[in-house]
Amino acid sequence: MAPSPNDTVVLLSSDHQRFVVEKNIINKSIVIKNIIEELNGAADSDDPQDLEGEQIEIPVGNVRSSVMTKIIEWCKHHRNTTFPDDDFDEPNKSTPIDDWDKKFLEVDQDMLYEIILAANYLNIQPLLDAGCKVVAEMIKGKGVVEIRNTFNIVNDFSPEEEEAIRKENEWAEDR
Amino acid sequence: DNYHKYCYRHNPEINCNKQADQAKLIEIQKNLESLDHNDKQNISHIWSIFSAAPSKQKNLILQGILSMCCFYQLSYISEEISNLIKIDFISTLPVQISLKILSYLDCASLCNAAQVSKNWKRLADDDQVWHHMCKQHIDRKCPNCGWGLPLMHMKRARQYDQVQYVSNNQQLQKNPLSSQNSPKITELNNDSLKTRPWKTVYSERFKVERNWRKGIFKIKEFRGHQDGILSLQLNHKILITGSYDSTVKIWDIKSGKLIRTLIGHNKGVRCLKFDDSKLITGSLDSTIKVWNYHLGTCISTYRGHTDSILSIDSYKNKIIVSGSADCTIKVWHVETRICHTLRGHTDFVNCVKIHPASNTIFSCSDDTTIRIWDLKTNNCIKVFQGGLRGHIGQVQTVIPLTIKDNITEDKPDSEGEDDDSKSSSQFSVDSTFNNRNRLQIDNINNSIVDNDMSESSDESENNDIVDTVIPKEFLDKLPSHMLTSSLDNTIKLWDFKANNGKGKCVRTQFGHLEGVWSIAADTFRIVSGAHDRLVKVWDLQSGKCMHTLTGHTQSVTCVDLSDSRLASGDEAGVVRMYCFD
Repeated sequence: MAPSPNDTVVLLSSDHQRFVVEKNIINKSIVIKNIIEELNGAADSDDPQDLEGEQIEIPVGNVRSSVMTKIIEWCKHHRNTTFPDDDFDEPNKSTPIDDWDKKFLEVDQDMLYEIILAANYLNIQPLLDAGCKVVAEMIKGKGVVEIRNTFNIVNDFSPEEEEAIRKENEWAEDR
Repeated sequence: DNYHKYCYRHNPEINCNKQADQAKLIEIQKNLESLDHNDKQNISHIWSIFSAAPSKQKNLILQGILSMCCFYQLSYISEEISNLIKIDFISTLPVQISLKILSYLDCASLCNAAQVSKNWKRLADDDQVWHHMCKQHIDRKCPNCGWGLPLMHMKRARQYDQVQYVSNNQQLQKNPLSSQNSPKITELNNDSLKTRPWKTVYSERFKVERNWRKGIFKIKEFRGHQDGILSLQLNHKILITGSYDSTVKIWDIKSGKLIRTLIGHNKGVRCLKFDDSKLITGSLDSTIKVWNYHLGTCISTYRGHTDSILSIDSYKNKIIVSGSADCTIKVWHVETRICHTLRGHTDFVNCVKIHPASNTIFSCSDDTTIRIWDLKTNNCIKVFQGGLRGHIGQVQTVIPLTIKDNITEDKPDSEGEDDDSKSSSQFSVDSTFNNRNRLQIDNINNSIVDNDMSESSDESENNDIVDTVIPKEFLDKLPSHMLTSSLDNTIKLWDFKANNGKGKCVRTQFGHLEGVWSIAADTFRIVSGAHDRLVKVWDLQSGKCMHTLTGHTQSVTCVDLSDSRLASGDEAGVVRMYCFD
């Protein structure tokens, strides 16, 4: 059974594509959830007939359609997942990346970058966490040159600076 | 804004990949130069058409080109693209997200990240990230990397001293570890400028922990007592020792110099405990003395025990607990001047410890048992004795201990293990007999022990308690574990919740060749001193012996440890201090 228009919203991506999504899927985004609640609240106080049959359209001006597709895919997969409050300041709770998320985020760097930005913009905390952990995994265990190669970074230290900074950090190597 | 108008690559505000692109452009230019004029013109024409096309047409042009490509050209494209789609996440993401990513790193990766570029260094050295690292590791084992760092004196750790570290991001200085931290931490006050960056704190502790693990230390010796050392305690500044020569000596750790000698006891000082203001000593002369050790004056003397004081503990100088060779424990309420006597042990009470959270006292005795007492009712609530896995020799030290990490336990009772403990028991009984029990010097006649309690009723009560469940109201508040050392040559770890709340010994640490007179422990380590003249350092979590330290010429009678040091005293009157900082 197709969801009725009342249960869905339309998201407009930056390249003007329309995405029809169930409210209880996209409510993983706190920003969208709040917008929907606000609009519903306004509709309730006014004449409830006004919005009847009309879908809410929410422009998401800084998310490209390809990224939006990914975001919605993620929300659909996790529609029944309840995420623990990953309190970042409590290090014990810093859990490893969920296997499905890890596979889901096996994308090129540009897509990963945009997913992180979109998750941040739309306030989807668990997706943002997963994205950050994936980037951290790309850094972990790599030497300085390897890190530069991974992210195409040019060394902007002078040789003297580089040596001084190496000295400053060498304590961590020996354990 | 530009972040939405442009892609990552063409955003004029993002500079980090431009340099790499620059190199590529120079190469392209060079290759183009080598062509003849017509080709040059045609190729640059193609490029300029593409460059001028709107986004949708660009995609169309690319589709056409791709469909014309041979596989080896596609392969070339694929390789080039994987090199081109690289993003300097850390430099270009919003700062809070970059810091979040860096906070997921381990210490070695974070230090590598700091060497990548200027942008990376600024973020990877950020105080917020290292504060998170400190919280994850200090005084606890990090579940991710298995490393924990010693909890060192807080004020000292954050104060600037001789090390002048110029921080690039002092505006990010945060409050000490204990305070709540909100993400908004840009308040700049004068106090924060005096504190050192968390990275420096971390690296300092990291080095100390590494030295502990690798056994890298400097030795200091403290000589001055005329007879064997019986007791000692250290903090980050001073060491206090009690000796057979009936004096107490206070030493400055840094200089190694004797600060003061306290004279007042008539016999050996068998136990001591000090805090910032007061020192309490217990002596073979049966008295307890409280001292102002800064002035060197004796404040008060407690009399009541009929034999040597072997052990003392105190809680905020309000309650003093003493264990004696007269087989009793006395609880002295300092303010009300009430003294309670706890009876139950049938031999010397070698060690007493107050556990404030559960309002209980832990005691252990030459009668091979360990007891827990309720401070409110002065009743014994639990006895641990010999039997399966218990001590079979005199128990010298007990330490209540809450362990947060998962600990390695001995395998559940197997025949092999029973054999082990039996063979070791055989051995230890022998060595116990051979030991010169220091306390017998006082010619204590055990049969004269104060007999006002009916011993028989006591015994039957013991047997009842031994097999009982620890009362629920205590079990919840008791520490998770206790450590004990015994003249049966072993150190044992007990779990109170195990055995359906009856508690039992879950791990026995073998290694000392003769009786273990003394142990001390913190979040990470156990140190032990034994009659075999050895000092051992054990990993608390695994129970493995990490280091065996030789050097004492006589039996080691007492040990203590701090975050970065361990001290051990011997019967020859020498204290050796192993400094891991």
